[in-house]
Amino acid sequence: MKKTINIPLGSQHISLLEPVRFKFECENEKIIGVDSDVGFVHRGVERACTTNFKYDGIGYVVARICGLCAITHSLSYTVAIEQLLGVEVSKKAKYLRILLLELDRIHSHMLCLSHTCENAGFEAMFMRIMGDRELIMEMQELLTGNRIQFDYISIGGVNRDVNLELAKKMLHTLEILKEKVLGYMDEFTNNWSLSLKFKGIGALSLDEAYQFNAIGPLARASGLKLDVRNEISYLPYKELGFMMQTHSDGDINARNIVRLNEILNSIEMCSNILLGIPEGEILTKSKGKPNGESLVRFEAPRGELMYYVKANGSAMLDRVRIKTPTFSCIPAFSHIFLGENYADAPAILASFDPCLSCTAK
Amino acid sequence: MKKIKVTLEILADEIAIFYDYKKWHFLTINGVSLGEDKLEVQWIFSQYEAMEDIIMFYAECSYKDVIPSIVNTVPSAIISQRELVDMFGVVVEGSEKGLYLDDDSKQAPLSGCSL
Repeated sequence: MKKTINIPLGSQHISLLEPVRFKFECENEKIIGVDSDVGFVHRGVERACTTNFKYDGIGYVVARICGLCAITHSLSYTVAIEQLLGVEVSKKAKYLRILLLELDRIHSHMLCLSHTCENAGFEAMFMRIMGDRELIMEMQELLTGNRIQFDYISIGGVNRDVNLELAKKMLHTLEILKEKVLGYMDEFTNNWSLSLKFKGIGALSLDEAYQFNAIGPLARASGLKLDVRNEISYLPYKELGFMMQTHSDGDINARNIVRLNEILNSIEMCSNILLGIPEGEILTKSKGKPNGESLVRFEAPRGELMYYVKANGSAMLDRVRIKTPTFSCIPAFSHIFLGENYADAPAILASFDPCLSCTAK
Repeated sequence: MKKIKVTLEILADEIAIFYDYKKWHFLTINGVSLGEDKLEVQWIFSQYEAMEDIIMFYAECSYKDVIPSIVNTVPSAIISQRELVDMFGVVVEGSEKGLYLDDDSKQAPLSGCSL
């Protein structure tokens, strides 16, 4: 019988800034068993949504679940309520919603890529990407008034318009960012530390991605064509140039390349929006109270986010169910670690881009 | 969204017949409290590359019922089953407490009945 040892990673670890713990059972350097614990900071947001807040304030509550994808949370909830109220949102408001969603995706992917560089020991690249990420954070502040916790979404539309001067400034910034991202692509493709080192590490095959219901860049890097932007009609993604990005290798390198291609596609969509913002109101007034049940999905930076809302015709809701991307991916995460070297575990974990703030909502 | 009512007795078989893992994407398991004694449990799936094609199997049951596991058919459902156990204080076959709450916690934050 071979001797095995248990090695924990987390809940406090230098390569992982969020409270999750993986317990690895290792045989020499090889991981042969994985146990995960995500329950360190459960905040009871779902319960708070049905006991402490009225339906028209919950959009601002759920935005606090996560700093990185606040917009996706508040939008998912808001669209679920709009469906129950029968509110028709203007085309202009839909365009502005996509604009902020995609800006959010860009800076979230940049954060993940910078952490990947940090785990590869490439500190200079980490600093470079984090520095460039400020371009997006500044754009978000100009558009919404805040860098991250932007309460931009309202039931019926959005809270702020974009004027011509701001649109021109954002277009110029997106051009600068595109050049920088093409530079990253060169580094991630040709630099040994970021390409060869990560090839074949932490791989998930297409069949495994199906079996474990992988989502987001994790799934698409394995060739699974699942992007909620391709499967919803409540935002006009296709007319703005959305293209699903996939890869076939399923390893850390493939995840990096998928995220880089998604950033480039998001920049293109944002530019298309800013060049052709439709005329019209940004906010449609709603009447009545929500009644019935609705289920809405959006593509957050880490994958599919689902909101289920059940209402009873009063201001207080019966149920708000939030299914977050990282939560869904935990079985796939655990599977990927099996057979890998423990030394690669931090880099593999960073490539998942996990968000425990969302998971322990 | 299409809703299909099932009973707990036939649930695992119904999902085993329905679930083609390359066609259907497992979304999650959800619980909705229907008061002191009852809850509705939902098993939700969406079709890959289809426009808003969502199927929800649902069953009404008591908090004291043992809810069958679908892990044999959908391995990744284990995490949602454990969440259901924690949040509603119900028993799901093969799913232990302690994902979000402590293993011995007496709380069930979303349950409609007092434990």
